[in-house]
Amino acid sequence: MPDLDALLTPIRSGDSTAFARWMAGAEPTMRDSLRSFAAVVDVEAVLQEALLRTWQIAPRVELDGKANSLLRVGIRIARNLAVSERRRARGVPSDEDAIDRALAGDPDGTTMPVVPDPHLRLAIVECADTLPAQPARALQARIESAGRQDDDALAEQTGMRKNTFLQNFTRARKLVAECLKRRGIDLGLELA
Amino acid sequence: MTAPRDPPLDAVTTAWRPHSPGGAARSHPAWHDLDDEGKREAYEVTRVLRSIEAALDPEALSTTARAVLRRIRSG
Repeated sequence: MPDLDALLTPIRSGDSTAFARWMAGAEPTMRDSLRSFAAVVDVEAVLQEALLRTWQIAPRVELDGKANSLLRVGIRIARNLAVSERRRARGVPSDEDAIDRALAGDPDGTTMPVVPDPHLRLAIVECADTLPAQPARALQARIESAGRQDDDALAEQTGMRKNTFLQNFTRARKLVAECLKRRGIDLGLELA
Repeated sequence: MTAPRDPPLDAVTTAWRPHSPGGAARSHPAWHDLDDEGKREAYEVTRVLRSIEAALDPEALSTTARAVLRRIRSG
């Protein structure tokens, strides 16, 4: 089983590059742990906060003899943040049942990070290379921005109206998915 | 290729999020416009998109990870 705690020592000492490598394996697992909250909180916002807080708390995380200690801490942080966000959004002062439900199935020593599949990665790269120009520009703009700018700014940069930009982005992701399916790859299933 | 519900759904698949005065990431404004089914679908689409982004990134980082890394490095 891959153990991301191999990166814990440099992360504790403030090595953000080591934390980036940790996130490459941990982010999908942490996102999956928030699936049950998808209709009640914006998982993307919660996940970004959880990853940041995991970085902040890492110097105080102790190994407990099981693999992926920091990932399990990150998942707990993410779930607790999701519960807090749900309360904040709905103005609910206290909901211990919700916390109990959220923490049911608390991450244990079997929590697994994602291991990149080089064959899948190559297939995605090759499919992205076949995109028509406009969808490719929309996808590339999102990737290069990496959340720095909103879609209004990206649409302006690419010379598109916002709705056109979004339509091109939708086309891009659907065309990549269809290309992968022709190769016998269903990304949704691959990630399950 | 694109359905009427796609643009509003894809509006929330970006890693961009507004921030509170304290710096915390907040919900995307368009997320509140989706119904429950749309929110679940946006989650699933985002999940797949992040794997595509990571595959296209030289360090295998999604835009979510890049956004977090930027906040870490900006102090």
